[in-house]
Amino acid sequence: MSVLDEIQFYVFNHHHYAHLPPRIDDYASSWVDLPNGEFDPELGHELYLRYTRELKLVEELGFDAIAINEHHNTAYSMQPSPTVRAGHVIATTDTIKILVAGIPLNLSMPNRVAEEYAMLDVMSGGRMEFGFPLGTGMEYWSNAAQINPTVARQRFREALEVLLQAWEQPGPTSYEGEHYFYRFLNPWPRPFQRPRPPIYIVGSGSPETVDLAVRFGAGYSVVFSPIASQLKAFDSLREKCAAVGRTLRPEELLITVIAYVADTDEQALREGRPYIERFFSWYHRVPPRYLSPPGYVSRENFLRLASSAALAQAKRSTWEDMVSIGRIACGSPDTVAETIAGWAVEAQTSRVIVTLTIADMPEEVAVANTTRFATEVIPRIRARAGALR
Amino acid sequence: MSGYAQSTIELAGVEVALCEAGEGPPLLFLHGAGTTTGFDSLLPLADRFRLIVPHHPGFGASADDPEVRSVHDYERIYLDLLDELAIDGLTLVGHSMGGWIAATIAIAQGARLDALVLAAPWGLRVAGHPTLDIFSLPPEELAQRLTADLSVFAGKVPDPPTPEFLADRYREDTSAARLMWSHTFDPSLERWLHRIAAPTLLLWGDADRVVPVGQLERWQAAIPAAAACVLPGVGHLLFDESAGACEAIVAFAQA
Repeated sequence: MSVLDEIQFYVFNHHHYAHLPPRIDDYASSWVDLPNGEFDPELGHELYLRYTRELKLVEELGFDAIAINEHHNTAYSMQPSPTVRAGHVIATTDTIKILVAGIPLNLSMPNRVAEEYAMLDVMSGGRMEFGFPLGTGMEYWSNAAQINPTVARQRFREALEVLLQAWEQPGPTSYEGEHYFYRFLNPWPRPFQRPRPPIYIVGSGSPETVDLAVRFGAGYSVVFSPIASQLKAFDSLREKCAAVGRTLRPEELLITVIAYVADTDEQALREGRPYIERFFSWYHRVPPRYLSPPGYVSRENFLRLASSAALAQAKRSTWEDMVSIGRIACGSPDTVAETIAGWAVEAQTSRVIVTLTIADMPEEVAVANTTRFATEVIPRIRARAGALR
Repeated sequence: MSGYAQSTIELAGVEVALCEAGEGPPLLFLHGAGTTTGFDSLLPLADRFRLIVPHHPGFGASADDPEVRSVHDYERIYLDLLDELAIDGLTLVGHSMGGWIAATIAIAQGARLDALVLAAPWGLRVAGHPTLDIFSLPPEELAQRLTADLSVFAGKVPDPPTPEFLADRYREDTSAARLMWSHTFDPSLERWLHRIAAPTLLLWGDADRVVPVGQLERWQAAIPAAAACVLPGVGHLLFDESAGACEAIVAFAQA
């Protein structure tokens, strides 16, 4: 039995604002302080329509799930409210699962997130999954400063406790914490799925977030981390789960992949590489201070970041660096299938989140890439599962 | 001029570093939101006072205190310190964030103070004279906003900054953010300044681009017995920039 037997593919559509400012190098950041005059609402409207067409195609092509998330003040994402988006996705699709991954709980109120997510689950008849991120450092600059990054992690832990208590314990209950006090925790509606929808902690691989996945019986997804540290986090999670008598299942680990597929490796590289490079050079353009507001990480972690940032300044990261540390699969159907199957087996996961609409890619290119992945890559991966059996 | 004697003392479960110099009536100095330039510029005060300069928990050589939730944690840590050192009458001097802490102590325990000096104190919101939000300022602009005399950083800031130096600043920014991330002022401070009974000196540089001298009038109006001394051409790091800052404190204490 291989993890490939059960493998499922989630398509992550970031809902980038796909129109780059004419002079992007005027801007040191595409987050937090990128002037919103660069957002054209009419072009934005067209983009929402386009992304809706793409998500409907994702369902038609037989993918298992759609993944969406939340970011603020940024060209990276037109989804400051993923529940608003998910409500629309539910209405424009029929059966596909939807992963909202998700609202940083600190930026809302946990009972309200419990309610909104339960609404989505009931409205969709149980198609929902949810990921819980702390929120990037940038979100703490972009939202009310009353949410203090120096206590973000302990506040996040409490918020998760509130939300899961609201979902799992018959209400009304009460909750008394340092950051949240509820006299009557009693959300209507309750989630459609019992005991609750599948949940994942979204982390960067830190011991703190791994511990949260253990404590709350959640799955785990690592973002913004090199493959080696992802695998280390998964191993650590497996060990910690085993220590409390829980066997971590392959469907509880999510890996995130960027893929571009063409007839040959050369063609894929020629066509796909510019989009993937802009994904990093523009959509991930963030000054260090926005990545790490005060207290968001420990002094020790900051020192590690500052040390690597010093290296990065001396030498801009190359295509080879990106491909060697991240999950970027750019090539022929055989190459992409073999690469992704290898990653899934190595990580012992059966859940692959794949980004196929990359950076400022035009719709026809995104559609072609998504279609090739569904029709040429997925069957090859499934065939490997058969061959391994 | 002799240097400081260094020691540590445990206050509310936190190891706090103390620098002490001189003999005479006690003077407790509460520093601002960074320790980069050190405290040698305060040593002239040791000629007349028993000068006590603690590093705030979370700053300099003191341990971190993740339990700090508000200015009152620092207020009570320093009330603990005064009890431990058996000090009653004292001159309390606070600079910038330390000025806010000092004002808070003076509001609560004014009878312990012989005199209070608030040097470019953080804490009020004054229309037309906004306090700089140190967190949103790009780091490369901070030095020139902090001081009218960049030579105060000579030999104290590596160029280019090393990762260790940046990590030390990040740690102090984190400690400051525990108090100041959510506001650029203390919304409940001004209402209680009338409780400050000690003779008070407001000390400011007129070139301060962090806490503008335009805020001075409001402090003076709210505190019953407040004198003012404004140092011309001096920025926010007034003790580093001008010998006149310590001289003004000595003159005020003698008056």
